[in-house]
Amino acid sequence: MSKTGLAQFQQVFIEESLEGLDTMESSLLALDNGGDAELVHTIFRAAHSIKGGAATFGFPEMSSFTHEAESLLDEVRGGKRAIDGAIIELLLRTVDCLRAMFARAQAGEPLNDAVAEALRNELAAAMGRGAPVAGVQARREVDQADAWTVRFRPHAGMLAGGNEPLRLIRELAGLGELTVKTELDRLPATLAALEPTECHLGWTIELKGPARRADIAAVFDWVEDECDLAIEAKHIVAEVASPVATPATPAAPAANVADAGAVRAQREASAESSSVRVSIDKIDGLINLVGELVITQSMLDTFRGGEVDASRLAMLEHGLAQLARHTRELQESVMGIRMLPIASVFNRFPRMVRDISQKLGKQVKLDLVGEQTELDKTVLEKIGDPMVHLVRNAIDHGLETPEKRRAAGKQDTGTLTLAASHRGGSIVVEVSDDGAGLNRDAIVSKAVQRGLIASAEGMSDEAVAELIFQPGFSTAAVTTDLSGRGVGMDVVRRNVSDLGGTVTIRSTQGKGSVFTITLPLTLAIIDGLTAAVGEERYIVPLVSIVESVQLKADAVRSVAGGGELFRFRGEYLPVIRLHDAFGCDTAVQAIDEGLMVVVEGDGARMGLFVDGLIGQQQAVVKSLEANYRRVQGISGATILADGSVALIVDIAGLVRLQGRRKAA
Amino acid sequence: MGGRTKGKGEARVIALPADFRLASTADVKASLADALGASAAELDGAAVERVDSAALQLLLVFRREAAARGLALAWSGVSVAMREAADVLGLSQVLELPASMPA
Amino acid sequence: MAKILAVDDSASMRGMVAFTLRGAGHDVSEAENGQLALDAARGGSFDLVLADVNMPVMDGISMVRELRTMPAYKGVPILMLTTESHTDKKMEGKAAGATGWLVKPFDPEQLLATVKRVLG
Repeated sequence: MSKTGLAQFQQVFIEESLEGLDTMESSLLALDNGGDAELVHTIFRAAHSIKGGAATFGFPEMSSFTHEAESLLDEVRGGKRAIDGAIIELLLRTVDCLRAMFARAQAGEPLNDAVAEALRNELAAAMGRGAPVAGVQARREVDQADAWTVRFRPHAGMLAGGNEPLRLIRELAGLGELTVKTELDRLPATLAALEPTECHLGWTIELKGPARRADIAAVFDWVEDECDLAIEAKHIVAEVASPVATPATPAAPAANVADAGAVRAQREASAESSSVRVSIDKIDGLINLVGELVITQSMLDTFRGGEVDASRLAMLEHGLAQLARHTRELQESVMGIRMLPIASVFNRFPRMVRDISQKLGKQVKLDLVGEQTELDKTVLEKIGDPMVHLVRNAIDHGLETPEKRRAAGKQDTGTLTLAASHRGGSIVVEVSDDGAGLNRDAIVSKAVQRGLIASAEGMSDEAVAELIFQPGFSTAAVTTDLSGRGVGMDVVRRNVSDLGGTVTIRSTQGKGSVFTITLPLTLAIIDGLTAAVGEERYIVPLVSIVESVQLKADAVRSVAGGGELFRFRGEYLPVIRLHDAFGCDTAVQAIDEGLMVVVEGDGARMGLFVDGLIGQQQAVVKSLEANYRRVQGISGATILADGSVALIVDIAGLVRLQGRRKAA
Repeated sequence: MGGRTKGKGEARVIALPADFRLASTADVKASLADALGASAAELDGAAVERVDSAALQLLLVFRREAAARGLALAWSGVSVAMREAADVLGLSQVLELPASMPA
Repeated sequence: MAKILAVDDSASMRGMVAFTLRGAGHDVSEAENGQLALDAARGGSFDLVLADVNMPVMDGISMVRELRTMPAYKGVPILMLTTESHTDKKMEGKAAGATGWLVKPFDPEQLLATVKRVLG
């Protein structure tokens, strides 16, 4: 077989092994939470497949490593060993270690390291034996002769099991010259007494030619339990003290070494995040749509050239309406290809929650809801970090220790829920806990100490809660090594807003907190309002619009330093005139002739002054960076129905821009 | 696919199937058992392409019982595959395969 | 050329086996677990079945046991692809009716040699 032939399966093996490790991990965690025995089988199967494949596909280090874990699991599976926390812990670390080994395999680095070596010894020790001793010499058969007698009497059931004496004797003939004598003593005398699928024959075979006992025995290796076999040396050549033939060294390692280069090239070629796995259903849906599109197109084709007869006008209209519908459906389906279930992000949390809660001495039950909710692939890749922070935060600051919970009349075990769902045109991801909730007093005193506010007089609970999203905020009396990693809630909000989403908090003291992340369905299409500014058109993302108001000329006041403010629901909001920000001539200047669009981004509100709003539309986002260059305050561009280009306003970016101007 | 039998006077001809292996032995056994009632029988193994020890064992038992019952038995055809298998298993003599016969 | 059924839940292992055997001119069908293999076996007469031991839905040992109850599969060679270095799995497979085994890891040459051996 060609090397590339084998290499193509090596890559598949790595991918399926990583999936297998995920399965092992989630099953181990479920087992830790009192799951059933079937989980042990699942874990065993995963370990077993990795072990088997690893050796076949050129990773013997991984194979022998997994072997230890598998042996341990085999004892658990066979009921010889009870599974306990210590074993689960050990196996979880094995999963981690194997993941690291696969990563090194992908990078073409040596697979073993000190951690792997130590863990392997630990596994071996857990099995009640020391590290495997390398190079134990197997005792060799030195039995050799140049004439043998083989007595072979199959048991009745051997034939049905697929072992054919014809094959065995032919194989034996490969070792030397045979004289075959059939023994018929067990043969029934009548047809009626014969069960034709059973074997009633026996053979005595004389073999002439130099052969080792082991070679003869090897012929019968599959049937040793299905026959009576006697191998007798008739003429012994010599008793040889030294091994006659070197035992066959497995040919596999050499072949694998040769293949390593090819595999590596293959691995490098497959860039990790530039591909997406698409279900056959989705592809079939697309093919269907394209088929319908072709039919509609050929129907419309009949109108080409000739004049349209009035009687056929209805048909033309129908065709065009169909075209519009198919185009929309096709757009949705194509976008759907980028959508993947959030389960891949959720799945990393059971392990993390377990580790963190153990470390903090808290008892936490993790509930996952809506794992099948689909998200845009890019969003999926980037939502992990903010969620990790929210989860760490919930366990560290939100959920209480069992003692405190008991004192508060709650169950010892706290509940942490990750829930994903579609709501309207958005994805909503919630991280909620039934812990202590936000402590208003602690937040206020910290905010005052930090100089974020002078006092909390008149501030609503909501406004106080918002303070935790301010840069550098932390309420923990002691900064733990878990959430105190220099990353605050401000970064969570920044990350989410980079994805075009928002994050909010709802909290009830003593009852718990809910962090809600709202994300657009996809990054590639946004819902927006088209705004006119002079000759230009801008798209304002719908998610960031609070409302739009027509103001009287005197509602906007200039302030020292050149800025403008207007009063909106008891707050003074800064005004950004889009024609100033982006340099558009011929735009409306007078406040009472234009429109103020109140927007929110990065937790701050402001007014965008535009000439007017033209309408709502879905915009396919094109990267400005890829086609031109990055522009502050603009997140991308789209092409309007008339073919002209409209820029998409980046609200969070404008807010930051505004903040910098203010500071300057 | 059992061996077909057809009357030829009193001599029954049993045509052995091309795939004469374990899975077909039950059918062939029924044909052979049927032929035991005749006074003479011919075994036609010309069409046999694949054969195993279960099949040859069946023929062996048939021949022995036929001989015990005084049935006149002859070969009307033996394929190469069949002869070769019988040789390997050391059964050519007891099956009384003809020394040479066109397949 | 023989009709061979390759049964393994691992796509890489199954792929490697099928690829190798097709390269040698065999007609290979694939199945992901024991249950699917039984369905395939009912639909076609295979000369040889190669099956993994540990598989979800239906493991290889149960599959062999089921196959051997089907008259058409009495005597048909079934090899277990096993990593078990202990003899108990091999023996369990044999007791269920397997013909023999091929110990993983194996390379394509070893696979072909074993298949050739069992097909005679």
